[in-house]
Amino acid sequence: MELIDRYIYAVTQKLPQEQREDIAEELRGLIEDMLEERTGGEKRTNEAVEEVLLELGNPKYLAQKYRGTKKYLIGPEIFDSYVLVLKIVMITLAFAFGIGFVIKIILNPISILDHFIELIVSLVTATPAAFGWTTLGFALGEYFGGINAKDLSFEKKWKPSDLAPIPDEKRQFKRYEPIIGIGFYALLIMVFAFSNEYFGVWIFHDEFSGAIPFLNPETSGSYMFFIILILGFGIIKESLKLIFGKWTLKLVIFTAIVNLISLATVVIMINGPAFWNPGFMSELVQAGLLSEGSEAYGTVSKIWENTTFLILVLLVIGLFWDVVDGLIKSRKK
Amino acid sequence: MSDAHEHIDKLMQELRRGTITIGVLSQLSEPQYGYSLVTMLGKKGVQVEPGTLYPLLRRLEKQGLLDSKWDTNESRPRKYYLLSETGKEVFNLLVAEWRSIVTSLENLIENEGGEKDGAD
Repeated sequence: MELIDRYIYAVTQKLPQEQREDIAEELRGLIEDMLEERTGGEKRTNEAVEEVLLELGNPKYLAQKYRGTKKYLIGPEIFDSYVLVLKIVMITLAFAFGIGFVIKIILNPISILDHFIELIVSLVTATPAAFGWTTLGFALGEYFGGINAKDLSFEKKWKPSDLAPIPDEKRQFKRYEPIIGIGFYALLIMVFAFSNEYFGVWIFHDEFSGAIPFLNPETSGSYMFFIILILGFGIIKESLKLIFGKWTLKLVIFTAIVNLISLATVVIMINGPAFWNPGFMSELVQAGLLSEGSEAYGTVSKIWENTTFLILVLLVIGLFWDVVDGLIKSRKK
Repeated sequence: MSDAHEHIDKLMQELRRGTITIGVLSQLSEPQYGYSLVTMLGKKGVQVEPGTLYPLLRRLEKQGLLDSKWDTNESRPRKYYLLSETGKEVFNLLVAEWRSIVTSLENLIENEGGEKDGAD
């Protein structure tokens, strides 16, 4: 009898509280019935009990059947989104490490072997970590059922008119475009994240001997978060281009939103106090790159003073063109 | 040969999953408890494991296709299941669907032989 109690306990403890009692009683009835059939009303033996329990099978699986639990980490409903995010993460990771590697080689070419080993080690440790965190995020979403596949999905109810036209050369991205884009963003992230010291005019006296920073070294730390955030958005944007393979209206809208946010952040940042390195010009002179009063000094100084304006103009044109170009190409039949 | 058996096992599992529900609903115009259903279906050639049937009964009850009642008058308390009004309706529709599937598939299977014969 004790065996039966233990079996019933093993099944019901894995079930929701409010069902336990009912299922336990029903299960006990079932086991009694099965025993009775086997022994024909004779005295029940331990062997008979074991046989019956064996027939019912592993309590774990029986409990599973009662719960109707899904036996997967990430269900088919959100699997597509999961793969999409995973691709973005992996692409970003590959670029970040690749470019970090290149920068380190430029800065210190002699220890290329060390850098290479570092690269391999980083890849081996970071790839599973990134994979794991992404998966964990989605698995948690699945477990708590908080993710509504429809919210997450990029697809609406499908109708035949949604069918994409057979790829048109003009509408498609050349594959290298987003790759170069990601590379560019990842490069900037590495530069900013590693150290703002390298974001400037590089001075070479036989070998690399530091850089004159563009940004104000006193305040750049506080801007770092926003800069990296904007660049991160950029990488997501480029990754989506890479994955979609062609301009779609949704992609254009997303691009427009990302560009608008980036632009707004940059405008606020760049106009903020003490964004640029106030000693930039004098440091250039000190480094012997320019001599005060020369024609070159005048030109550089003029450019430097108008940097804020120039960057804004270029940024507005660039980001605007990005969206317009996409819009035109997505409309092309 | 064992390869074919493996395939058959998997395919039969999928095939049975739906048909068991029809089998269970068909027997519940009169109240039955779980184990009596197992024996009843077994005698009629539909083998169901109790470990499959009991959770299924609860699921059908939760979906509202079955009503249930504990009978405590007998030597041991038993939970009896019976088709609900919705259950009856669903069962009738399901039977119609089943018949049409059987007819179509019969046609397909028969015709496969027929076409070969009638080809020349």
